[in-house]
Amino acid sequence: MSSSGLNGTAIKLDGVTKRFGTHTAVSSLDLEIPKGTIYGLLGPNGSGKTTTLRIMMGILLPDAGKVEVLGGPPGVRRNARVGYLPEERGVYRKMKVRDLLVFLGEIRGLGRSEALRRTMEWLDRLDLTEWADKRTQALSKGMQQKVQFIGTVLHDPELLILDEPFTGLDPINQEVLEGIVREFQARGTTILFSTHLMDHAERLCERVCLISKARKVLDADLKELKKRERKGLVAVEFEGDDGWLRGPEVTGVQRVEEAIHLSLREGADHQAILRRGVAAGVRIDRFDLVEPRLHEIFVRYAGEPEVEGPVETPWGGGGGEVAP
Amino acid sequence: MRTLRAVIRREYLQRVKSKWFVFSTLGAPLFFIGAAVVPILYETGQEETRRSIALIDETGLLASRVEPRLKEAGFTVKVVPPGWEDSLKVQALEGDLGGYMVLDEDALARGHMTYFGPQGPGAIRGMTMRGAVVQSALEVRLAEVGAEVDLEALFRGGTMDLRIFDEEMVGATEDEPEFIGAFAGALLLYMVVLMYAAAVMRAALEEKTGRIVEILISSVRPWELMLGKIIGVGSVGLTQLAVWVLCGSLALTLGLPAMAAAQPELVDPEAIAQALPGVGLLALFLALFLGGYFLYAALYAAVGSMCSTEEEAQQAQFPVIFLLIGPILFLLPIMENPNAPWAVVASMVPFFSPVLLYARAGAGAIPLWQIGASLTFLYLGVLGVAWVAGRIYRVGILMQGKRPTLPELWRWVKEA
Repeated sequence: MSSSGLNGTAIKLDGVTKRFGTHTAVSSLDLEIPKGTIYGLLGPNGSGKTTTLRIMMGILLPDAGKVEVLGGPPGVRRNARVGYLPEERGVYRKMKVRDLLVFLGEIRGLGRSEALRRTMEWLDRLDLTEWADKRTQALSKGMQQKVQFIGTVLHDPELLILDEPFTGLDPINQEVLEGIVREFQARGTTILFSTHLMDHAERLCERVCLISKARKVLDADLKELKKRERKGLVAVEFEGDDGWLRGPEVTGVQRVEEAIHLSLREGADHQAILRRGVAAGVRIDRFDLVEPRLHEIFVRYAGEPEVEGPVETPWGGGGGEVAP
Repeated sequence: MRTLRAVIRREYLQRVKSKWFVFSTLGAPLFFIGAAVVPILYETGQEETRRSIALIDETGLLASRVEPRLKEAGFTVKVVPPGWEDSLKVQALEGDLGGYMVLDEDALARGHMTYFGPQGPGAIRGMTMRGAVVQSALEVRLAEVGAEVDLEALFRGGTMDLRIFDEEMVGATEDEPEFIGAFAGALLLYMVVLMYAAAVMRAALEEKTGRIVEILISSVRPWELMLGKIIGVGSVGLTQLAVWVLCGSLALTLGLPAMAAAQPELVDPEAIAQALPGVGLLALFLALFLGGYFLYAALYAAVGSMCSTEEEAQQAQFPVIFLLIGPILFLLPIMENPNAPWAVVASMVPFFSPVLLYARAGAGAIPLWQIGASLTFLYLGVLGVAWVAGRIYRVGILMQGKRPTLPELWRWVKEA
């Protein structure tokens, strides 16, 4: 990949490693996120996504490696230009929605009146105006999440770091959020989000990075990745004997609904199979290269994504052995 | 600075605007005012006549002494010669008189009297009446043997002047120590420090249980968050104390005279004035409150940060409470002996000095240099504890799950 686009680099990780006691959460991770892109950090639970994002925010210090965010070391000062929505996101339950948002704007460097103005604008935009004077504990979970999102973007950050932003939202609000994320990108904001939901990543991301067991296993432009992965899979529908499918090029055969999916050996030429079929006199109704879904690529590289991995990050619920 | 200010303001306003704050801040003085005012209203209303009594003195010696004593205590007294009992009974039944007392030889011999009325005089009034008779009887007896005695002073319990001398056997006259004031002040210090410092623990916990800490910590430095909480909650405490002090001084300047007029046997303005601390002690109180509060608030912030639930915090705060209660156990011995070497040393220890230094200063004369040294140690202690607590806080607020062991805590302090 090109090391920096025309606009430069928003985030750069260089050999970053983070250990919690004996457990390695992130292992010599290199990452480069160009400005203005929507970047997806994918991986199963417990693979080190959240730890990576926390390192970018300066909340955790890496044990080794170098981190650069918007051209400098991460930390509170840098974060005035960053919008961060952590996975563990709560609210001050007794606070009124408006007061909470003004407070969040203030700690990110906005003046009081400006924070209030933007708060009311955003509440209006997300249909929450009538809730402005309610305590946050009166809000539904989805509404709370919208409020948290407003708090994340109130100071109009150059870089958005969202940890599992879609989890807990109903489909309608997921769509609202997707729309807003696209809008931010159109204005030149760099967006990095982590998710284990491949659908969103597939729709939104320009680049994806796949982490599994603390290591990066894939880092690519999504379109190129799909094109590359397409070579390996052929869907066939035919009538007649299936002997022609067997050959040195094919490593696996799988029935998927009406079709049969052939996995090809790397570098194999699918034309050879097609020629064999024609020669065998089989009537071939369909023979095409399948564009794999991100989910399949994910599984190919990292195994089933939904499998619960060992969760040993500080907030992961497991607790236990954690160093600062 | 802007973030620190925002944290302080949020912490302060959230608390001051809460119903619980309004209730406890205004409720406490209202309760005390009520406790003072209700008897007055009761008294001035229907009870007026019960303080109006007649006195029949069969000895001929006591009336002139009993009458002024009772008048001073707020009674209306008529001295009536024997033989008018029936008329007095009619007056009492018509409500013009509470009743009448009869003093005979027994009064002189053993302070005995008989009271006649449609109802008794009431416990407190009865006590006042007996006291007046006993003092008068003693006065008569002492006069018979030619002794001149200030009975009022004797009955009040006497007074003490202090002459403290040093190695050269010279020294100055000191004020008489006011034990009750010193004891109450030290206890009050203990309570307010405990109350507000513990509130800081709950504030630190709120962010963890509410899972909002990670949102904050990306924009606020941990020490800013901790300091903001301590200052915010402390300001709430000062606000509350200010309201109470204001109510207290209003009660003293306006309420007390009114009460003394209405219920003289209950209120002795002189004794109350004596129990009040002077300006010096008040300043010391404030300095010790601030130092003690910051010291314990930092400790409590650290405790709150290392726990995940309210129940856990209740247990984890025990060592801190122990530090705070410790000096209370030594309060009485130290007030008995405020200048014993161990008392001097104990009042220099930052964790103990808020309570013990005040007790010593209130209970007797202590050298100014000791106050200076103790305050210096206290404020140095605040800096040291804040430094350690800040490091624990920084790691702790991001932890979820099991509480750290002591070695782990030590590692946090070293590595943070």
